[in-house]
Amino acid sequence: MSFWIVLGILAAIGVWLIAVYNGLVGARNQGQTAWSQIDVQLKRRHDLIPNLVQVVKDAMGYEQETLTKVIQARNSAVAASGNPAQAGPAEAALTTATRGLFALMENYPQLKANENVMQLQEELTTTENKIAFSRQFYNDSVNAYNTRRQSFPAVLAAASLGFGPMDLFSMPETEREVPKVALR
Amino acid sequence: MAATTDFVAAQKENRRNTLLLLVALTALAALVGYLVGWILETEGSDTMPAVSTLGIGAAGLLAAVSVVWSLISLAVGDRMVLAMAGAKQIEKEDAPQLYNVVEEMAIASGVPMPRVMVLETDALNAFATGNRVGGGTIAVTRGLLNTLSRDELQGVVAHEMAHLANLDTRYMVIVGVTVGLIALVCDMSLRTLNWGSTQRRSDSKGSSGGGILIIVLLVVAILAPLAAKAVQMAVSRQREYLADATSVQFTRSPNGLISALGKLGEKAAPFPGVSRATQHLFIVNPIHEFTSKTPALLATHPDIQDRISRLRNLGGRD
Repeated sequence: MSFWIVLGILAAIGVWLIAVYNGLVGARNQGQTAWSQIDVQLKRRHDLIPNLVQVVKDAMGYEQETLTKVIQARNSAVAASGNPAQAGPAEAALTTATRGLFALMENYPQLKANENVMQLQEELTTTENKIAFSRQFYNDSVNAYNTRRQSFPAVLAAASLGFGPMDLFSMPETEREVPKVALR
Repeated sequence: MAATTDFVAAQKENRRNTLLLLVALTALAALVGYLVGWILETEGSDTMPAVSTLGIGAAGLLAAVSVVWSLISLAVGDRMVLAMAGAKQIEKEDAPQLYNVVEEMAIASGVPMPRVMVLETDALNAFATGNRVGGGTIAVTRGLLNTLSRDELQGVVAHEMAHLANLDTRYMVIVGVTVGLIALVCDMSLRTLNWGSTQRRSDSKGSSGGGILIIVLLVVAILAPLAAKAVQMAVSRQREYLADATSVQFTRSPNGLISALGKLGEKAAPFPGVSRATQHLFIVNPIHEFTSKTPALLATHPDIQDRISRLRNLGGRD
């Protein structure tokens, strides 16, 4: 009799462990997928910025300093990529630098007429948006995962099953806005 | 209407309302099926059983038919809707900004990238269709592309992406089938009753219990289709509110959708290719003129001003 009771309790614990494990795996994978999405968009931005600088370079000959700043910010963002904790500040600095460039570009009417520049602007705008949205989705997923692993009773098993906490990807709040571009 | 202050609370409320409406609709269908079965069972005998096994059987049969019918509609409905509306699929080169905005919303929602289509009409409208979370379609009109700013377009696309994420097409197909089935069964039983009562008049041993039941069935058969239709429209309106709230979850700002809805309210016009069968899919109702007032109970969409004021509650300007 007591044998069956013990067996029943063990089976219940086993089922519970499986449920906790699968739930945590699902939540962690969603977070990781979201992170890879951010990574894709950040890389895309890193690729787009040199193109834009190249196209506007001739028209904006007197703005060498700004252009250099953008390229420098871009290069340090490339160096920091892959690590949520370091990439955040570097990407935020890059956003600030590109926003400065966009603001200056408004002084050059000939750029507004340039089809190529317009296209690059739309691509950069959408890439900035995608970074913001994938960051939002990533952070929501991480929050859901962290809440799940810290909730009772999963908290009893999460650490011993190898589910550590995940980092949020933070950029200063103002950086979420899309750069104001007058060329649309 | 209680003021809701964030999209999570608004979504929760809309989901609960939908669930209540679905329960009501199912109960209505079961009642109709049960009554019909009960009548059939009393038809042959003088006794009136309190619990009718045939009634339970008929209710079950009705449920089974509606499941099969729903599955068929879900399998073919998608393509029919798109063909009827005359939507053409586009690639990124055809409308880069639209394509980009859809990609942005796909990322924000976590929904796989849907197909993007354009309807060649000057009317301002948009719709989404798709029965699974993946493999959906978002279509917007040419007029919309030409009129709206990037932020407004993003709000509209977020609303459509919300329909896909919330599986609204599936909801409305199932509700539509149940409503159709209730109407069909009620219609059939009214015809049968007509014929049956003339039979019974010439037949002297009709039981009085059966007579009361017949009156009940008569009343139910007349009222049930109307009630079902009202429930269907209420579900449709709840899903619109839900999609508005969910679009705020995706964009984190209701302003684009608020200003887009303002423009749509002014310029939405009927256009060829839409019918009563597909009207609930659109972001604003594509059939009714906005000057003529549809009775609120039978409207597929909530009043635009009401939607705008609810969006303002979710943190919009002013």
